[in-house]
Amino acid sequence: MNRQPDNRTRIIAVMAEILEIEPSTIHGAQRLREDLGMDSLGSLELLSVMSQELDLELEMEHALNITTVDEACAFVSRHYAQQHRAASAGA
Amino acid sequence: MLALEREPEGGGWTPLSLGPRLARVTENDAERQLLPLLLGSVDKLRVQLDSASIDRAGKIPADVLDTARRMGLFALTIGEEHGGLGLPLKAATAVIDQVARSDRSVAVMLGLHAGLGTRGLVQYGSSAQQSRWLPRLASGELVAAFAATEAGAGSDLMAVQTCGRGVAGGLRISGQKCYVTNGGFAGLYTLLVRTPGLGGERAQSLVCIERGAAGLHVGREEDKLGIRGSSTVTLELDEVFVPSEDVLGAGGSGSAQCAHVLAWGRTLMSAGCLGIANAAFQATLSHVATRRQFGRTLARMPVVQLDCADMAARLYAMESLVRWAADAEAEPVRLEALSTLAKVLCSESAFAICDRAIQLHGALGFLEPTGLPRLLRDCRITRIFEGANDVLLVRIGAAALASPRSELTGLRCADLRGTLADVARVCAALVTEREATLSLVRQRDGLSVMRKQALLWTLGQAEVKVHAAIACLARATAESSRSSLQVAEHAIVSLAADASAQLQVARDARGAAALARAQAICDDLIADTPAFRSSAGSGAHTQDSST
Ligand SMILES: Cc1cc2nc3c(=O)[nH]c(=O)nc-3n(C[C@H](O)[C@H](O)[C@H](O)COP(=O)(O)OP(=O)(O)OC[C@H]3O[C@@H](n4cnc5c(N)ncnc54)[C@H](O)[C@@H]3O)c2cc1C
Repeated sequence: MNRQPDNRTRIIAVMAEILEIEPSTIHGAQRLREDLGMDSLGSLELLSVMSQELDLELEMEHALNITTVDEACAFVSRHYAQQHRAASAGA
Repeated sequence: MLALEREPEGGGWTPLSLGPRLARVTENDAERQLLPLLLGSVDKLRVQLDSASIDRAGKIPADVLDTARRMGLFALTIGEEHGGLGLPLKAATAVIDQVARSDRSVAVMLGLHAGLGTRGLVQYGSSAQQSRWLPRLASGELVAAFAATEAGAGSDLMAVQTCGRGVAGGLRISGQKCYVTNGGFAGLYTLLVRTPGLGGERAQSLVCIERGAAGLHVGREEDKLGIRGSSTVTLELDEVFVPSEDVLGAGGSGSAQCAHVLAWGRTLMSAGCLGIANAAFQATLSHVATRRQFGRTLARMPVVQLDCADMAARLYAMESLVRWAADAEAEPVRLEALSTLAKVLCSESAFAICDRAIQLHGALGFLEPTGLPRLLRDCRITRIFEGANDVLLVRIGAAALASPRSELTGLRCADLRGTLADVARVCAALVTEREATLSLVRQRDGLSVMRKQALLWTLGQAEVKVHAAIACLARATAESSRSSLQVAEHAIVSLAADASAQLQVARDARGAAALARAQAICDDLIADTPAFRSSAGSGAHTQDSST
């Protein structure tokens, strides 16, 4: 599977794989806690596993404020874009 | 006098507020008038309790239940407007501690009723739900039970499968719950169920179901190692109809509600650990004071003295942390964190104390009539239920890393003299070491630390001990007797040494080689087990990358 997280569908696919649910049941506005059953530590763990799956370095500080699927996708995409840019600049 | 100070948000230093919080809670009128009476009643109940026969029969006798009802022991934390005693959590911990000194099964029954069993209803119930059930729960006509665990969802409650399907007017619930304490005779069950219709795919809700609901089947009693008098059963739910008005609070908020309910449960359970540990300790003191070997009493032997001092120090730390947690009653997030720390400390320490008590009794300690084997058996479960300790330690470690501020942020040593000045300095150095370690690990490992289970567990161990040391210090500052201060000092010094060693391990990331070796050993051992070979095809054992 292509792991590049520049596409929202791929991020959601990884999320669904980790949560063991159908990707089609995940929607942007869903709250990680109330709708997907994760508490704040659970969502950090999720982001951590996603960062491993997607080969990304993520910081803990900003990850703490994430409460919805949309926010998680934006967070991962932003980091991906930054790291991708840095990698191309370095190459 | 307060031992530590806290830096407020705006800068400058103010006294650490463990003390004032204590004062605020104890000002509750209900507690002031009722607690001494209740504790007196519990003493009378103790006379009626024959723990050995409860243990043998695997059942709490009906007359004990009746006495407990008459004494108001089912009414502890239920509001006065519903016929309860309206006691604060701290007072309830004193009662459960007292009951557990004589019988842990009875303490578990009452503690579960006041904690997991009724807390959801008290905190999240509508006024209609509360008026319907709380008066009968307060009188003990109904005993409460709480059912979250399932065969496939123990530590991982997100995996709950019991599901409420939306139908006209409510939910139809099917599934199975296991290990339901009080379940055999409970009148009201609070269940954690999946409710995809009330939120997203994995949304969960708490629902109340009365005994006798059509489709609810109560299984037979489990045969257990300890707390044998406590009822533990399986529940089968076959299309049980639950009207919408029996869902607690906002549908879909079950997992957050569960966290709050568990915080109460863990505080009360920690109090039960205190009771049992105290019983083992008192029995040990009496024994070592009189048993003679080599021409002197055991109590005159330095190794025995070290053991006794260690038991006293453990008890002091347990009590201090339970009080700190219970005093956080009005602040749910703090209560959640502190109750988890207290639960781990108290359950591990109670077991260690009971084990040591048996050791110091020699062969006698191994014999059932001394009651010590029962204490050891009864307290074993507390390291498993309401969150297995290893799982909680990993979460505690993760929470310490994830929270930018905590109970301990900005604490520093105040101006103290004598013994307390020394131990306050030890605590202050420990708090500084903790903060430095957390910040180093955050920077070094980033978010990947959330996958490093062993490191989180080590930090969790340190967290429990650091908080226990601070709780001891805060309490010691209000203590005047010399012997209490000595015990506090002993507790703080040993907790700090342990915590510091754990923090060092986390900083050095030592043990990476041992972890890799452990994983390799475990993989080889598992690959050789017949159970693995027969399940390999079904994919029951899957490798994961956490270390
Ligand atoms: C007497 C009794 C009364 C109970 N009463 C109730 C009740 O009233 N209501 C209720 O809902 N439940 C109740 N329980 C269930 C209890 O809360 C669960 O047994 C407990 O949460 C652990 O779940 P499990 O047994 O499935 O263990 P598992 O989840 O299978 O875990 C087994 C062990 O594996 C290890 N482990 C698991 N996950 C991790 C991890 N992530 N990290 C590190 N180590 C891990 C731990 O050592 C753990 O002890 C009761 C159980 C008993 C025995």
